[in-house]
Amino acid sequence: MNFAEMHQPEFAQAPATERHSHGRWEPYVDNGGTSLAIAGSDYVVVASDARQSNGYIINSRYSPKAFQLTNNVILATSGYAADAKRLVEVLEQNSQMYFHKHEKPMSTTATAQMLSNTLYGRRFFPYYVFPILAGLDTEGRGAVFAYDPVGNMERVVYRAFGSAAALVQPFLDSAVGFKNQRNADATRLLDREQALKIAIDAFTGAAERDIHTGDWLDIYIVDGNGVQHQKRELKHD
Amino acid sequence: MFLTRSEYDRGVNTFSPEGRLFQVEYAIEAIKLGTTAIGIRTNEGVILAVEKRVSSSLLVADSIEKILEIDSHVACAMSGHTADSRTMIEHARVEAQSHTFTYDEPIPVESVTQAVCDLALRFGEAADGQESTMSRPFGVALLIAGVDEKGPQLYHTDPSGTFWRYEAKAIGAGSEGAQTELQEKYHKDISMLDAELLALKVLKQVMEEKLSNTNVQLAKVTQENGYQIYTKEELQEVISRM
Amino acid sequence: MQLQTEQLQSAAGFKFDNVKRNQLLADKGLKLSTAKKTGTTIVGLVFKDGVVLGADTRATSGPIVADKNCEKIHYLAPNMYCCGAGTAADTEFTTNMVSSQIALHSLDTGREARVVTAMTMLKQHLFRHQGYIGASLILGGYDVTGPHLFSIHPHGSTDKLPYLTDGSGSLAAMSMFESRWRPSMSREEAIELVKDAIEAGIFNDMGSGSNVDVCVITQGNVEYLRGYSRPNQRVEKEQSYTFARGTTEYYVPRAAPQPAEVASAMDTSA
Repeated sequence: MNFAEMHQPEFAQAPATERHSHGRWEPYVDNGGTSLAIAGSDYVVVASDARQSNGYIINSRYSPKAFQLTNNVILATSGYAADAKRLVEVLEQNSQMYFHKHEKPMSTTATAQMLSNTLYGRRFFPYYVFPILAGLDTEGRGAVFAYDPVGNMERVVYRAFGSAAALVQPFLDSAVGFKNQRNADATRLLDREQALKIAIDAFTGAAERDIHTGDWLDIYIVDGNGVQHQKRELKHD
Repeated sequence: MFLTRSEYDRGVNTFSPEGRLFQVEYAIEAIKLGTTAIGIRTNEGVILAVEKRVSSSLLVADSIEKILEIDSHVACAMSGHTADSRTMIEHARVEAQSHTFTYDEPIPVESVTQAVCDLALRFGEAADGQESTMSRPFGVALLIAGVDEKGPQLYHTDPSGTFWRYEAKAIGAGSEGAQTELQEKYHKDISMLDAELLALKVLKQVMEEKLSNTNVQLAKVTQENGYQIYTKEELQEVISRM
Repeated sequence: MQLQTEQLQSAAGFKFDNVKRNQLLADKGLKLSTAKKTGTTIVGLVFKDGVVLGADTRATSGPIVADKNCEKIHYLAPNMYCCGAGTAADTEFTTNMVSSQIALHSLDTGREARVVTAMTMLKQHLFRHQGYIGASLILGGYDVTGPHLFSIHPHGSTDKLPYLTDGSGSLAAMSMFESRWRPSMSREEAIELVKDAIEAGIFNDMGSGSNVDVCVITQGNVEYLRGYSRPNQRVEKEQSYTFARGTTEYYVPRAAPQPAEVASAMDTSA
């Protein structure tokens, strides 16, 4: 055994980085990261961390996963970053074509259905993306749509997807959904400031315990006045 | 002039030196041989009325259909070579369903109209190396009535693939007289009830036969109920108010 | 009988008769066990007066941080410490075991143990277990012969070098050493370089994180600087998440029916 072999760093053997395992081409990579959205009576809060990673390596400390598709629709992703990028390009194109063809911006619900169809269109070679679409519906209420990679769609009040979803979703179930709490009104919707605080706490907590979540946090708040974006620092370790 | 025309009126893709497409113009002429159709827009909805030519007592009048549903919120009346409209209406229906499937919302009325006109313009066109599917322009004009988020709307399309939005419009053999009459009687705040009556009255004036509940068809598209075609009884009720 | 003869003939030395079988099984899809290492950054360097060891404090299980402030610099003897990467239990037990053997050895000989002695005990133990003990170690100490720094790999091989890094953050840490290490550094320079090497691992390797532990071993003296650098303090939460009294659902157990009641109930049913 020579010196180089002995010092083979272990992450070079980690399965996540192996695109040629067993001699076969692996088309997908999990780039980690977490996204969430919370709907209110007249707003939505969307948050995504900006770390993009592969195995134990950080590809980028600021590579946004949440995108503003139209004037009032945000798409937050997680999974394979390259597929997410392509998906956003397709949605933006469709959205623009719709605007020209029908002379009006695509509504949140129309975008939601179009996204579902776009995903199902690749049923047998899916976009490896877990999308969360957020915006206001035609009545001005907050709307969050969650999808699996092949287009199963669900309208929800709140949802977390990505590498820290198993940590964040139970927290949201308690803080936003008031689950398993006596004397709590489970149908109550949070006000904007509360939702924002919970989104931030979800991410500072996730960055503590999930190694793939961290660096920066992108937050989008959509309401009747439009879209507001803010960027916050998360831990870099 | 006549000679020039005969030189340039064969090919559907050939302009005359004066910049005219004669085949399209002839197709527009064909509409003027068709039965009269009328559309009236009100603030509550749109009325469509058509004349049927029941040319024989042995003809089953019910078999003549000149108002058709495109989607639950869009309908269409026609005049001219009505068989040509089958292709157009099929296209409009597919386009409407496709829109609902893709966007989970009803298609805007103008978008259906645009889709139909895009098709109407495809005559003489062929994909590279392939045989053209339509050899001539459609010989039919449509009145497309519908409701969407912009409210009730009425569109008129012709064989050139052009469309216009109207408050009230008549097409077909009696269109000239009917349009003049509509121009006189139409006002912005007309009610649906008055529009029903106006449509039938104008139709009656330009029809050769005596208007009855068998030789006209009446339909409406409203914000509340979408497309509804009048039954014989409902039609009779309107006629009795005339 | 044939079998016995073969066994007798190959009784001594290594046996390779399973190699072909294992290759066959691997080809058929059997997953052969591989040496497993958890993410870590550990380093050591020799300076003018002794050695400095360093380690991060993150312990992971898969992608989850299991412990944000664990100790990876293990005590071996009063003049020796040992950084461990790899399977947490293996580094813990191996260093503990060698630590007690060294203590007994010192008692027997009446001398302070030498660093090579500990290194030899560690490598022999690991070699005996053919790599199945997943301990990857950086051993540092100061004995009668001066300062010593060794790395010991899970299969039992060792290196003696003036600066070493190991764990998933080893490349990040080594980048600091390769650019800044030089012979006969001062104590302050050495500590600063070790801290920066560990921080390179903490920030650039996701298997490493939290704080920097440092251990400085010089002649007759050890300074264990637990939490020498803490660059990853948790930020304050935006709000409190305490629940009002009575939020949790609970059942009030009903009193068990008296024997008489049970008996009468049985009577009526009969």
